Amino acid sequence: MPENPMNETGSVDPAAPDEPITEPLVDGVDAAPESLSIAQKEVAADAVSAVPISLHEAEPEPASSSIPATVTKVDAEEPAAASIRLEKKHPLAIRWMHWVNFPVLFTMIWSGLLIYWNDSDNAYQHPHAVYRFGVGSLTLVRLFPPWFWKAINAPYRVTEGLGYHFFFMWIFAINGILYVTYLLISGEWRVLVPERRSFVDAIRVTLVDLHILKGLPPQGKYNGAQRIAYTAVVLMGLGSLVTGLSIYKPTQAHWLTTLLGGYEMARWEHFWLTMGFCGFFVVHVVQVILAGWNNFRSMVSGYEIVPAKARLEEERSAR
Amino acid sequence: MSDGREERKEQEERRKWDEEKKKREDDRERDWERDGDRERRDSRAVESLDAAVRAESGRRTRRSFLIAAAAVAGGYSFYRWIDRSPGDQLMPHPLREMLNFNAKVARGVFDERGLAPTYPVSKSMELRTNGNYGLKMDLVPESYRLQLVGVENAKRYPQYVDDVTAWEYKYAVKKDPGPVEHDTKVAPKDEAKVDPNSDAGAGEGPMMEGGPASTMVAGSGEKSETKMPPAFEAAFAALKKTQGNKRPRGQEEAGMSDNTLDPGTPGLLLTMGDVTALPHHELVTEFKCIEGWSQVVHWGGYRLADLIAKYPPARRADGSLPKYVYMETPDGDYYCGYSLLACMHPQSLLTTEMAGRPLTQWHGAPMRLHMPIKYGYKQLKRIGLIAYTDDQPDDYWTKLGYDWYAGL
Repeated sequence: MPENPMNETGSVDPAAPDEPITEPLVDGVDAAPESLSIAQKEVAADAVSAVPISLHEAEPEPASSSIPATVTKVDAEEPAAASIRLEKKHPLAIRWMHWVNFPVLFTMIWSGLLIYWNDSDNAYQHPHAVYRFGVGSLTLVRLFPPWFWKAINAPYRVTEGLGYHFFFMWIFAINGILYVTYLLISGEWRVLVPERRSFVDAIRVTLVDLHILKGLPPQGKYNGAQRIAYTAVVLMGLGSLVTGLSIYKPTQAHWLTTLLGGYEMARWEHFWLTMGFCGFFVVHVVQVILAGWNNFRSMVSGYEIVPAKARLEEERSAR
Repeated sequence: MSDGREERKEQEERRKWDEEKKKREDDRERDWERDGDRERRDSRAVESLDAAVRAESGRRTRRSFLIAAAAVAGGYSFYRWIDRSPGDQLMPHPLREMLNFNAKVARGVFDERGLAPTYPVSKSMELRTNGNYGLKMDLVPESYRLQLVGVENAKRYPQYVDDVTAWEYKYAVKKDPGPVEHDTKVAPKDEAKVDPNSDAGAGEGPMMEGGPASTMVAGSGEKSETKMPPAFEAAFAALKKTQGNKRPRGQEEAGMSDNTLDPGTPGLLLTMGDVTALPHHELVTEFKCIEGWSQVVHWGGYRLADLIAKYPPARRADGSLPKYVYMETPDGDYYCGYSLLACMHPQSLLTTEMAGRPLTQWHGAPMRLHMPIKYGYKQLKRIGLIAYTDDQPDDYWTKLGYDWYAGL
């Protein structure tokens, strides 16, 4: 993590003598602020253990006479610092690749639908076997119903779909390969790949997001659920490329098609991966809206405004 | 008295204590004032410092959004450029270029040599019918000849004729319409509407008079009601007369092929016997339609490679082989182009049997092509002509926006 000079001088240490100085005067009891401060900080993770310690060090001087000295000392040493600061959150390369991927993936899904339509056409004679909800011979619903095709203006645009799909597949693939390469070289993969505790964290994060529990687990740049989701969506992209290739060249790359369970199975996988992208998109957009402007802006400008006193993750973990 | 002394002492202490208390309170008050001052001064400083942070954020955000806006404009222009590019055979030029590039990559990587997986016969099924271009009427089997053009030293073969186009194929009204399964938007239970693609029991179905037969292209499928201007009508009648009332070629949506033979083209006229003299092969492979469906089918017939070996193409001046092969139906309505390499693929089969039975008329009797390295739209039914050629031949679906290569 990049160290911020403002943080080093202006956040944790000067805050410590500041708080307990006024407290004993108001309360008149020595023990009260101590227990109070512990109660407050109990929520915080081990990462902030330095803060309560410095609080205790400041405790044993509740006497009135020493106060002016302490204050002047603080005054002399520490000029006023901003309560907020900018923190770099997303590197430029990641922002570009993220935003390039958005219209490209949209184009892939849209052109894919134009292609899929062709197999949904004469459903009365040959209901398609691949794009449906169902198990074995039981089919609940076939995808998609005629009104949907009409609504998205898909009918009779197969060549357009094929043309765009086989054009933008290159951009999708190149962008994805660049992204993964960047993650590996920059070391950013470390904040993205799930850790062992991410799976337990993800459940807790989900429950907190659903307002069932309170208290988010401590996290780095991304929480457990994010780590899993963002890694999964990269793997899904890879899956789309691999299943796509096996559909595109099922004879020349038949070993791959066979590995994926055959041509129809590969189509099924390709389709449901796409549905997965759509699901990811919905959750992602809702979460971004809930997270607010500061978070969204950081994916555009790269910077997030964070409280100066705590590092980003501390602030998050205390939420 | 001690009382008085004690009292004084007590008074003195109380005064002292009061004084101290007052002093302490004064101190505290001063402290409060001082703290308040400091806080006020600090909060003003903090506010201005925070404002500076926000201003910096705003600067960065504005700059980033400006770049983003430029990128969006650039991206949209890119899309518009593709979308508005003039069509190259009904496909925007950049997309067509990319299809050709993809074909080049595929040829470079895979070399079209890979073999399609084969399956046990028990996994095979009846192939559904899809599209009846060039098959609207039954072909009288005795009138069938395979035209072969561009053969090396053709004159040495007994099947040589000066003009292969002079051969007359004979047709009959369909006796058996076969399964009417052409993809349409009209469900069969809908009695009010006539299936525009149906050729059930009719020699010349409504499709013969115009209208698309497949969902692979746009169109209402309904017969056009517009009348031709009289001048056009007269010209059309004159044209028909000069053609000796012969049925014009290329009657489907893509029109006539550029590769349709000129009258007087010499070549060979092979009989089915000439083809069946080749070694017989059987193959169970998965047929794949670009519409998205696929079926495992049991094919029987003769390798195209064997036919080409027996009737090799004439070499070019530099001694190399021509690069392409062109095929069409006897009526010239449907046609496909292939690379010679694709035709030499060991699984490219001139099919005469399907599912262990002779090929039906609606599947392209007497002979159709199966080519597992290509989509179904390249697997021509009722092959009337095979021609070796140097230039990339015309292709029915390519003219309507599909990939020429169509390699799987």
